[in-house]
Amino acid sequence: MEDKEAEEIFEALWTLRENGTPPNKENISRIAHLEHPHEGIERLVEKGALVEKEGKLLFTPESEKKASGIIRRHRLAEVLLHEVLAIESSHIMESTACEFEHILSPEVTDSVCTFLGHPPICPHGKPIPRGSCCSKFRVKVKPLIRRISDLQPGEEGKIRYITAEVHPRMERLSSLGVVPGSVVKLRQKRPSFVIEVGHTVIAIDQDIAKSIFVQKT
Amino acid sequence: MPFHNRRRRFRRGRSPTTLPRFVLVGNPNVGKSVIFNLLTRRYASVSNYPGTTVELTSGSTTLNHQPALIIDTPGVNSLIPMSEEEIVTRNILIFQNPRAIILVIDSKNLRRGLLIALQLAEMGLPFVIDLNMEDEAKSLGMEIDTDKLSELLGVKVVNTVGTQKKGIKELVDLIPQASTATYPVSYCPEIEEGIAKLVPLIKSSRIKKRAIALMLLAGDRSPIPWLSPTVERKTVSQIDHIMHLTEAKLHQPLGSLINQQLLKIADEIIQKVQKERGTEKRNWQEVVAQLSLHPLWGTLILLFVLFLVYQFVGRFGAGTTATFMEEVVFGKYINPWVTEGLKFLLPVKFLQELMLGEYGLVTIALTYSFAIILPIVTYFFLAFALLEDSGYLPRLSAMLNSPFKIIGLTGKAVLPLMLGFGCCTMATLSARILDSKKERMLVTLLLALSIPCSAQMAVILALLAGFSLKATLWWGGTILAVLIGTSYASSRLLPGAPPDFIMELPPIRLPQLSNILMKTGSRIVWYLKEAVPLFILGTFVLFVLDKLDFLSYIENLASPVITQFLDLPSQTTRAFIGGFLRRDYGVAGLYLLAKQGQLSGTQIVVSVTTLTLFVPCIANLFVMIKERGWKIAFLMLAFIIPVSLLIGGLLNFVLRTLAVQF
Repeated sequence: MEDKEAEEIFEALWTLRENGTPPNKENISRIAHLEHPHEGIERLVEKGALVEKEGKLLFTPESEKKASGIIRRHRLAEVLLHEVLAIESSHIMESTACEFEHILSPEVTDSVCTFLGHPPICPHGKPIPRGSCCSKFRVKVKPLIRRISDLQPGEEGKIRYITAEVHPRMERLSSLGVVPGSVVKLRQKRPSFVIEVGHTVIAIDQDIAKSIFVQKT
Repeated sequence: MPFHNRRRRFRRGRSPTTLPRFVLVGNPNVGKSVIFNLLTRRYASVSNYPGTTVELTSGSTTLNHQPALIIDTPGVNSLIPMSEEEIVTRNILIFQNPRAIILVIDSKNLRRGLLIALQLAEMGLPFVIDLNMEDEAKSLGMEIDTDKLSELLGVKVVNTVGTQKKGIKELVDLIPQASTATYPVSYCPEIEEGIAKLVPLIKSSRIKKRAIALMLLAGDRSPIPWLSPTVERKTVSQIDHIMHLTEAKLHQPLGSLINQQLLKIADEIIQKVQKERGTEKRNWQEVVAQLSLHPLWGTLILLFVLFLVYQFVGRFGAGTTATFMEEVVFGKYINPWVTEGLKFLLPVKFLQELMLGEYGLVTIALTYSFAIILPIVTYFFLAFALLEDSGYLPRLSAMLNSPFKIIGLTGKAVLPLMLGFGCCTMATLSARILDSKKERMLVTLLLALSIPCSAQMAVILALLAGFSLKATLWWGGTILAVLIGTSYASSRLLPGAPPDFIMELPPIRLPQLSNILMKTGSRIVWYLKEAVPLFILGTFVLFVLDKLDFLSYIENLASPVITQFLDLPSQTTRAFIGGFLRRDYGVAGLYLLAKQGQLSGTQIVVSVTTLTLFVPCIANLFVMIKERGWKIAFLMLAFIIPVSLLIGGLLNFVLRTLAVQF
């Protein structure tokens, strides 16, 4: 309970700092999703997690690191919801991302970051703090998950999942061998999408191509 | 319950023969029909599975000195059925009690074939595996250890190359050794739990209860009649409940999940038996395949192929052969001979008129369906079989899919629409191959409204092209505009989601002449059995209407519209009525009037265009009723009549306002 409270306040402080809004008690209380923010801020100052200076609140090196982690998890969650799960409603995205940030462990966070291809910004355009997995990106290119419609002809990928609004589509695809785990190659995009799984060549709609997510190999 | 009816109807239709049955099963495009032709020696018969539109081919033969019946099933991707064909194939395996099943697999697509093998294993049915197209697999650098595969699965395996007749003798020798597979198949715990809950609800059946439970889990409800003697509503809701529960735990549709897990098991098996030296195909077949879907070359090939088909079917078939058949074969020989014969046998004038008169069954119905339509559809079926067997046809559909999607169809619709240029009656029947009800309705409407069949095309082009190119363009352009507009508008107004386009593209292959002839032959028989009776019936109906003076009544009723709204001389009304009987009669009537100088240039264009759009021929109407139902057929008719007249009137107005000269 206390931790969650601290996390909310850290997040609010970071956001204010980013915006350039004065990080004072009133502003923090305004945007932190808490019932008694003033008391929470007091507690943190007492504990030494936050420093008050000329009415503004600042991070200690330790709490700065913690805050960075929270922001990273929150914004990665937003990318996950927006890009992969196609959640358009900002209200739902916001509230769900808010929950996510509290429960993702560091390993899971790095996996999510890698999975998404080390995205540098969130759907709102704000920067996502880098993690340890991101620095490795400069040395080795990590695999990405993309829609098969975003690949170039000749590229191959392993199907991670297929999002289909209609059951019959998934079943038809599965009976042709197009299932998660299969390796699929994009042969062409125009005038029709043509994919190849095993030695089965299939022509599909653009809609269907957009619903097959692959990890490029 | 509808399922009970289906089952009873099937039982009644079962032949009393005690010939042992053998069933061929496999994915589409694995060469099943070639194997079938090699196994059966005499002519095979095609029939519908009772209560469905699915066609089955069966033939008798002698296998190992014993008479046997071989049944060929349509290609299936899974025995947990998702389409009507898969239901029929699955039902045959269960109810026809086959002595053995021959599973034909495309060697280079072992994975998909093993999916079915594993399903047969779960059903507990005896089978042998025929790894066909061994040559294609070899040329890809693939090698399958058939002994190992046989050992793992517990069934006999043989390699064949159907097109070269290789391995067939070995296959025949192995059929008596068919066995049930012993490979253990299990799924994730949640699905196993679902199976365990469903099994007690299933009474004993010829296939293992597990297999039925899986079908139920996947959402297939056709096995419900086999569950218990009295199916209670309670049981059905129990099954639904178990399915939803299982699906909720796994967050995925169960049908595809089951396939997924089976494919994983198939992959394990493949690891042990298949070696592949991946070589990218660079032979001429692959080059043709690539070109045929190229944005530029593909389009050129498409236009070239359509042109060739038009020349073959239109000129050669509808033009040369049909004319020869009508004028020489029927005109000089058959009709006079029959006329004399019937005049002698039926001295009654009424009956003579019935057979030989203006609406005579012999002079009109039989002549039309045999002299004109038969050659047209024969040429068409030949061309079609050629496109099919070469592997080009699905690529044609893929090329046309994007533009077709704009007007609410999929690329597959090109097949019945193409056939419509041959004969609309046949094309309406072939709309069965389309996947969604909405698409079938749309295509039926377009065929009835805007697609001109070969019979009338020949005369239309003779009239218009011989007259002026401009006229042909106005006619063609209007028809095309109506086609596109109707399709676009109807697809928006009719309920139902736009259908998915998922089309397997088989490799480009050199077509086999024997296969083409066999296919064309059985399709001609289909035409003779399904369409010809309708032509005869239609002619008879018009004969009766004529006798009752109903036709002249309609003519008087229609005359004001034709003369005033369309600015046409009153004689053209006859042509419009005539078009209902035989499409070519309608245009021929206009042709005659034009030749006599009774029609101006504008009148020619307006009358021909309106006639093309006007009601379908009576045989086509019957097929529409048969396939789509009375209500829909008459609704379409109620749409077509005013629309065609309106377009005609509009065209008339535009041409006159713009004072277009021809």
